[in-house]
Amino acid sequence: MKRSGRIVIIVAAVMAACLPLSLAAYNLKAPIAAQPALLTSVGQSADVEMAKAIMGRAKLSFTMDSLVKAQGLASANAKTLIIVVGGSSKGLGAAGISADAELERTKALLTEAKKRGMKIIGLHIGGEARRGELSDRFINAAVPYCDYFIVVEEGNNDGLFTKLCGTKIPLDTVQKISQVGEPLAAAFTK
Amino acid sequence: MKRLTLALVLFVAALGAVSAQLPVNLYGRAAVGANGVVAAAKPEASQVGIDILKKGGNAVDAAVATGFALGVLEPNATGVGGGGFMIIKMKDMAEPVVIDFREMAPGKATPTMYLGSDGKVIPKSTYEGGLSVGVPGEVKGLLYALEHYGSGKLTRADIIQPAIQWALQGIPVTVNLESITKDNFGKLVQYENGAQIYLKDGLPYEVGDVIYNPDLAKTLAKIVKEGEDAVYKGEIAQAIVDEVQKRGGIITLDDLANYQVKIRKAVEGDYRGYKVYSVPPASSGGTHLVEILNILENFDVKKIGFETPQAAHLWSEILKLTFADRSKYMGDTDFVKVPLAGLTSKDYAKEQAARIDLNASMNPPQAGDPYKYESGSTTHFSVMDKEGNMVAVTKTINYFFGSGVVIPGWGFIMNDEMDDFVATPGSVNSVEPGKRPLSSMSPTLVLDPQGRSFMTIGSPGATRIFPTVAQVISNVIDFGFPIQEAILAPRVYQAASGDLQLEGRYPVSALEGVKKLGHNVNIRGDWDAYFGGVHAIVYDYDEGLLYGGADPRRDGQAAAF
Repeated sequence: MKRSGRIVIIVAAVMAACLPLSLAAYNLKAPIAAQPALLTSVGQSADVEMAKAIMGRAKLSFTMDSLVKAQGLASANAKTLIIVVGGSSKGLGAAGISADAELERTKALLTEAKKRGMKIIGLHIGGEARRGELSDRFINAAVPYCDYFIVVEEGNNDGLFTKLCGTKIPLDTVQKISQVGEPLAAAFTK
Repeated sequence: MKRLTLALVLFVAALGAVSAQLPVNLYGRAAVGANGVVAAAKPEASQVGIDILKKGGNAVDAAVATGFALGVLEPNATGVGGGGFMIIKMKDMAEPVVIDFREMAPGKATPTMYLGSDGKVIPKSTYEGGLSVGVPGEVKGLLYALEHYGSGKLTRADIIQPAIQWALQGIPVTVNLESITKDNFGKLVQYENGAQIYLKDGLPYEVGDVIYNPDLAKTLAKIVKEGEDAVYKGEIAQAIVDEVQKRGGIITLDDLANYQVKIRKAVEGDYRGYKVYSVPPASSGGTHLVEILNILENFDVKKIGFETPQAAHLWSEILKLTFADRSKYMGDTDFVKVPLAGLTSKDYAKEQAARIDLNASMNPPQAGDPYKYESGSTTHFSVMDKEGNMVAVTKTINYFFGSGVVIPGWGFIMNDEMDDFVATPGSVNSVEPGKRPLSSMSPTLVLDPQGRSFMTIGSPGATRIFPTVAQVISNVIDFGFPIQEAILAPRVYQAASGDLQLEGRYPVSALEGVKKLGHNVNIRGDWDAYFGGVHAIVYDYDEGLLYGGADPRRDGQAAAF
């Protein structure tokens, strides 16, 4: 092999090692969810608005209700529930609910979704800024209900999502918010 | 092969640097120089000010250039659509002058403008959309300072060109800006003009990205050519009126044309022999800063100690008393009578100090604070040169990304300063046409006991501003901290009622003691922007050097030469 050929191969190998996400397969091996979906927040952060933009770009069929309650699922006509996890004092304040009330809503909602046979996909896209005492309460409460979870890498620096998902919940990690759409869209049957 | 190996190592290292998480960086925030220092919330803005000083400009020239540059580099916090306060003391001035370029309520504003048919405040109406926009004062204020206190050696073009250059070459997205953008995504996405500039394909910009704003460059170039009329009359004024009214606002061409900068006498106090000058109403900040320091002076702060339970307790009690006064008395002195002399008197402070029990937390001296918390989304910068000329400027568009309303084709964000009024009638701070909403901004100058220029200081952070400024001044004067250490020290905050807020690094060993004194404590982040972002300069006459300090809680970095 010529020297220039070896250089190309070595550079490609290094790039592959450094950028695993661009080449590696996702941990979710097959679609699990059906459309339409219902998008909601767990913790009332603005991240749910970003998820809305991502899902729009991915051309997924969905409706959004940041404060949907368990009893609201009956009329939502959704087959999949997407939860965007992350606490925001500002968001909770704007919504006029306490963290405790939001936790109660979350648990009731997720329990009801399970009962209805809906798939639950969790997203944590706010990075390290969306961690801490308040957010972690919501994360710990919501992740175990999920059938699939996608996290932006910086939010999982301490491995909390890895630990909560364990071997039962497929967990995919992306480096940037803009990369969430690909695995999320792939989770849905066409 | 060696070259190849080196190339690969560099490639991997560079990739690592880009993808690595950026922690709070405590290094390189401070700067020291013999000729001049600028301390601002963005390193690029500090450098703009230094470059102006190097060109022969004076401290005001540097401050105005830094101010315009911050409007580009920190657009989430300040800019053409905002307002603020500047305090100047040139070496040859007997007293400082305060330039009040705070926003004004539009002529059609009324005390009930935010109430719905049910008599309740319409959600979001005070802080988002056109109705939240006050008449901006920034351009008139900065240009007034340049015209009256600048050196006259540099042209308007010299002063504003660096800002234009940054708007064209693009501003770097930092961890801080990425986080702020994500936090405010819900607002940004609703206003398409802002979304086009501050979102990337509909999602937040992330660290390493660059944001370009050629429309803002165009606005700034027009200001170079036409002065304040570029914004307050003609096509930009018409564009402001059209866009604000389209979004539900009430600003008119007359409001813009009639906006006036107010020149005010600084509020002054004395702290352990140091003369303190700050801004009077429509900011409450300076008055309460003096009140706090006056009360603090009645205690042996050194004996109480640094970061002890008793120190946190003392700050808590002083702030409770101060905020109770703020609630009751403070408003725009052009509209209401404020007992400024009493609030800043030593005798009154002694009375207030006597109400403090060093062994027990007092009940709230008032039932509560009727003022809502202002937004912490302001910016502050300080300039001092070797002659001792001092400028301190605090300015803002209020909440991060202001009202969300961006003027199409001109690239600047309109403030939501109307939120700083009380949204219901009957308060000294209720809305009235032409009135300025109450502020906490406290750009401050300090003279040493020999009467020499000693310190320029200020902070963003809403109602935390003057408590934070007071703490940093105390850290320097009472404990002898270098300015950067004084800025880094963990902070406390207490409103008239509610929990005592302690920054996360406050010693764990003090916590139990604080609780035993009767306080409910809320522990906040280790480096929490809630407590502001102080940018200050101290003159060390023994060394003949100026020391600039900047705050890692935001993107602060001083520059010097």
